[in-house]
Amino acid sequence: MAGQPPQPKENLQKNPRDAAYWAQGVKALKISEVPEGAVNLNVEGRRVVGPLQGFGRMWQKTYRIPLEGSGATPAEVVKVWKERFPEFWMPGNRFLAPKGGLAPGAVALINSDVPGSRWFSTGVMVLYSDEESFTYMTPEGHPFSGWITFSSYADDEGTTVAQAQLIIRANDPLYELMMPVGLHRIEDRTWQHTLRSLASYFGTGGKVESRVTCLDPRRQWSQAGNIRYNALIWSMIYAVLAPMRPRRERKPTN
Amino acid sequence: MPAKHLEASVRYPPGERAGAAVIELRGEIDGFSQEALDAAYAEAESRDPDIILLNFSEVDYINSTGIALIVGLLAKARASRRRLLACGLSDHYVEIFNITRLSDFMSLFPDEESALTKSAGA
Repeated sequence: MAGQPPQPKENLQKNPRDAAYWAQGVKALKISEVPEGAVNLNVEGRRVVGPLQGFGRMWQKTYRIPLEGSGATPAEVVKVWKERFPEFWMPGNRFLAPKGGLAPGAVALINSDVPGSRWFSTGVMVLYSDEESFTYMTPEGHPFSGWITFSSYADDEGTTVAQAQLIIRANDPLYELMMPVGLHRIEDRTWQHTLRSLASYFGTGGKVESRVTCLDPRRQWSQAGNIRYNALIWSMIYAVLAPMRPRRERKPTN
Repeated sequence: MPAKHLEASVRYPPGERAGAAVIELRGEIDGFSQEALDAAYAEAESRDPDIILLNFSEVDYINSTGIALIVGLLAKARASRRRLLACGLSDHYVEIFNITRLSDFMSLFPDEESALTKSAGA
């Protein structure tokens, strides 16, 4: 980082300068607080998964938008993005960040409206967070197994650019079947909307550039058993059983 | 401190270790490292080795975008049925490879010698 004196290699080994940016190792996710009206399902006790633990084809999806004329630096963009992340999301989705914000290791709940399941519930863990980027890692059962990195940088012309980059694969065979019939489209719309909302906050418009690359066309059949954690299935069961639960547990999510 | 962009060079150990390619990495692995990493990987692959070893002993910084680039290399290696190994990671980055679960799919070794020796018969 700028302004820091060089450290001897021994010190770097003992006190790496990025140590504070990474989540500490956790065996299972733990929700520190559940906001009123939110559904805490499919996150607590689950492990995080990266793009290597999923089932389907591995995709790299990059969405970026230039914030021309905004005058904002990359660090300012990322600061706002972290602080106001839920505001930039698609309508119909709730991103419930913990009170401490999106610090490394923080776990956020996601409650979404999905056809067939009123309370689709999942979450993310903040894997990494520094001044110019932050990364989410998904839990078992999430539609995607992987990482989502949000960052900002100045391009060759000096224009600040905001970017969301995903490295993901469908977590299980059911989600993989859903990829071509809607999941890809939902993912594209989500991040395009987020970037447009972010640009709008900074008083700019512009077109979101999208680039999709298949990094690994193979399916990992050894991971097919991930379906036992499928958040969509568990959310549907949760919704079906809702009438049998005491009324105080059946709060609507919005 | 200005960022130290990544430099990567490829070596092919002789003798019993033939069949392996070593990519020596120096500097920082972040979003600007893709070109250097991809070029080194392509060069390493050109001799069709069974094993490609990433030597991180001269790497002092990896951010989450850098970790994602390593996943990309791992995907390429798995697609072409090569083994991608890593050595020379500091304790801190061994922990990061565990957290990100890269180590589920990538064997980690303390140094090049042990990586090439132990992987030779595996």
